[in-house]
This record gives sequence, C-alpha cells and structure tokens, in this order.
Amino acid sequence: MRIVRLLLVDDETRFVETLSKRLAARGFYVEGAYSGQQALELVASRPFDVVLLDVRMPGMDGLETLQAMRKLQPLVKVILLSGAASINAAVEGMRLGAVDYLLKPADLDDILAKVDAAFEKKRLEEEQAGEKRET
Amino acid sequence: MFSVLMLRHGGAPILRLDDPARVSRRPARLPGRILVAVAACSPIPLLVALAIVAGSPLAPRWIVAIVAAGGLAASCLVAAAVAAGMTRSLAALERQRDAFYQEMARLSKAASLGEISSSIAHDLNNPLAIINEEAGWLLDLLEGRELDQEPVRREFESSVAQIRVQIKRASEFTRRLLSWTRDADRVGGPLDLNLLLSKTLYLVENELAEAGVTVVKRLDPGLPGVAGNEAELRQVFLHLMKNALDAMKGAGGTLTISTEVAGGAVRASVADTGTGIPPEILGRIFEPFFTTKPEGYGSGLGLPISAWIVERAGGRIEVESVVGEGTMFRVTLRAATAPRAAAAPVGGTHEDRPAAARG
Repeated sequence: MRIVRLLLVDDETRFVETLSKRLAARGFYVEGAYSGQQALELVASRPFDVVLLDVRMPGMDGLETLQAMRKLQPLVKVILLSGAASINAAVEGMRLGAVDYLLKPADLDDILAKVDAAFEKKRLEEEQAGEKRET
Repeated sequence: MFSVLMLRHGGAPILRLDDPARVSRRPARLPGRILVAVAACSPIPLLVALAIVAGSPLAPRWIVAIVAAGGLAASCLVAAAVAAGMTRSLAALERQRDAFYQEMARLSKAASLGEISSSIAHDLNNPLAIINEEAGWLLDLLEGRELDQEPVRREFESSVAQIRVQIKRASEFTRRLLSWTRDADRVGGPLDLNLLLSKTLYLVENELAEAGVTVVKRLDPGLPGVAGNEAELRQVFLHLMKNALDAMKGAGGTLTISTEVAGGAVRASVADTGTGIPPEILGRIFEPFFTTKPEGYGSGLGLPISAWIVERAGGRIEVESVVGEGTMFRVTLRAATAPRAAAAPVGGTHEDRPAAARG
C-alpha cells in the first residue's frame, strides 16, 4: 500500500507544524501550508491524496481554496477543519465537494479515521477511472 | 384652512394637509402605524395624531368629519376633539411601541451574542487545538522512550512552552470577552464613547481581518462623555460594524470609525467602502422587518432597534450612502455634563425598564 500524501492547511502555523510531526510519525507524507494561496501553489505543483483545510483563514478562506483546489486536482479529497461550529459552512463545504468536516480541537483518532476513509474513497475512484480507461 | 386631501390605507398611510411642509411624519413603526400631523390651524396649532392599527381599515372616522365640517372654526373644533381623543390612544400606542422595542432589543442582544458566538468559538478553539496537538506530541514522545536524548528533550520543552503560550492567548481572550459583558448595564456616569467603540471593534476584529478589511480609527481624544446605556449603545455599534463588514465581504475595503465633538453633542461615525445602499432602499432601512439580506440572515430589526436605542438616549442616527462607494452611519449623542440619572432621556428612565433587559 502506498504512502498517503497529506496536505495540511491552516493559518495557525504552530498547529500545522505539530500536527504534521504527529502525522509524519504515523507514516504519512505530510506537507503544510499557512494560507489558501500557498496551498494552491503546492496543489498545482504535485499530487496529494487528502487535504486537511481550515475554513477560517485571512485572505483566501477555506471554501474559496476548496473550489480552486478541486479545479486543479478533481480527485483530491478535502476534509474541512473549523474552530467555529458553523453548520452553514459545513453544508456549504460539502456542497462544494468537501468529503468531511472536523471541529477543532479534534482528536487525532478522529482525524486518522477521516483521513483513512477519504483516502479509501479516492483510491476506489482512481481504480474505477483506471478500469474505464482499460475498457 | 385645514383640510385633509387624501388618506390612503392598505399601503403606507398618507395624510396630506394643505401645507405639506407643516406635516411632520414620524417614520412608521410597530405593529400599528403612528402618524403624527401637526396641523397649523391658526391661531392654535393642533396636534392631530392618527393611529392606524395594522390591518384595520380606514380607522379614524375623525378625518372624514374634518373634511365634512369644512369651515375653519368647525375644523378647529373637530380637530380639537380628535386631538383630545387621539392623544390618549397615541400615548397607549407609544407605550406599546416602547415595550415592543424593549423586547426586541433584548432579543437582538441575545441574537448578536449568537452571531458573535461563532467568532468566540473560533478564538478559543484555535489555541485549544494547538494545546491538543502539543499535548498529543508530548505523549508521542513519551511512547518513543528516547527522553534522555537531547533533541527529544528540546522538543519536549518547546511543546510545553507552546502550551503555556496558547493558554495565555485563550485566557486573554476570555478576559476581554468578560470586559465586554461586565459593567454592561452600568448605571450612572457618562460613557466614554471612544472606549466603547474600541471594545466593540475588538469583537469583529478577526472577522474584519479575514474579510480583508482595513480598520482606520479616528477617535477624538478630547471627547466628552455621552449619555446612554452602555450595553445598548454597544449593541448599536456592533450592529453598524457588522453591517459594514457585510457590505465589504468578498471585496475587502476600509472601515473608518471616527468620533468628534459636534456642537454640544458627540458624533460617532461608522463608514465602510462597501457596496452602498441604493437610494430607493435607503429611505426604508429603518423600517422594522425590512431587510435585503437572504432569508435566515437578517431579521430586519437591527437598524430599527438601533435607531430606537439612540433616540431614546436623546440622540439621532443618520445615514449617507453612495452605491459603489460605501455607506456612512452617523450617531449623534448628547454630551453628558451631568450623571445620566439626572439627565434621563425622553421616553423613560432606567427605573421603568424591565429587569430582563438588564441581564
């Protein structure tokens, strides 16, 4: 099984740094971005499987980043992260193509479970796409 | 000569007298609509008040009587009778209106807390999320059993230090939040409007920054204290700032908060560089339940309640707007030279306010 490529996007730099270390220690390939713009630059340059994306960021917010990101990599799975329990943002995020939603502070086990599920979904979609190409 | 030319019902009631300049129309408010017309029926100026309860058809038969009576003397007589009869019901309606706005102000205070609670959650959950990860990382390190090694020790120290930084950040936030609610219904003493604006601004600061809005403060340091209820005035300015933010969402802009001495009064302005309000809407923004926001977002009560609060404190609220350039709300308040108890605003003192409104 190949290594899951994660992108962690949050304007809280320390959050990105420490969560990245913890996820890397669990066998993930992790990159961090501190703004929507920076995240898009990374997504434009190399493939990722799952993106953990903060909703509230200065400048380009999570929902805008999500839309632009899905244009660059339609198969990438985005899990939204939010410090504010806003049902509106969650619903809007899912409508725009996010696969899941996590509230901060989140339990690492929950993060891992959602990342696994998102990665599994992406893998299946890639397989189906591959089969279609073969037939 | 005093005669009524037209009274329309169904839509906005219009009362027209001979000289429109002499008709003062108070903006329609409330379940019913209250129209006050000053009839210059020389030599005695009469106050004719028409109270039209919502939904009821052409209620004041008085008007018909005035028209029928025709002559000046008769008009005056009928008008006098009208004035006497209507003053009582007007007073009753005014009381109803005040009760309504008081209740709405209380509800809107709760609603604005609901609106800012998302901001509050964000400001507390971010430091908590970092603390959570640092604590988790410490556990990860403990499980690694390499604690005696120098790099691991440095990691440990860094995480513990970060936890303390974030706890400080969260507790500073709660302290500022408390200063917002504490002494909120303080009675007596003039209010420092500059301080009140700065405290209010703090609540929307994050949202403004996220929306790419630059805040410019032009506060006159020599401002005298103003009359008014602190909690209520904060609600007014919070509402104006949130409106400004909404008008600039998506495009960013500049929010200018300024204070100045204007004659014997004190003026605070909240100006945005947002979308602006079209002229056809500008005249209606203080009407209850008028909103241009999508369903579920605006109650249409924020501005009417703000206007009611400001007017009750003896002040006034004005708006200027240019589509595409922005909107400026100006709140003029009385300078409080005496403690507020001695300069109670027209329309009620704090004593007759329900206790619930103080919570």
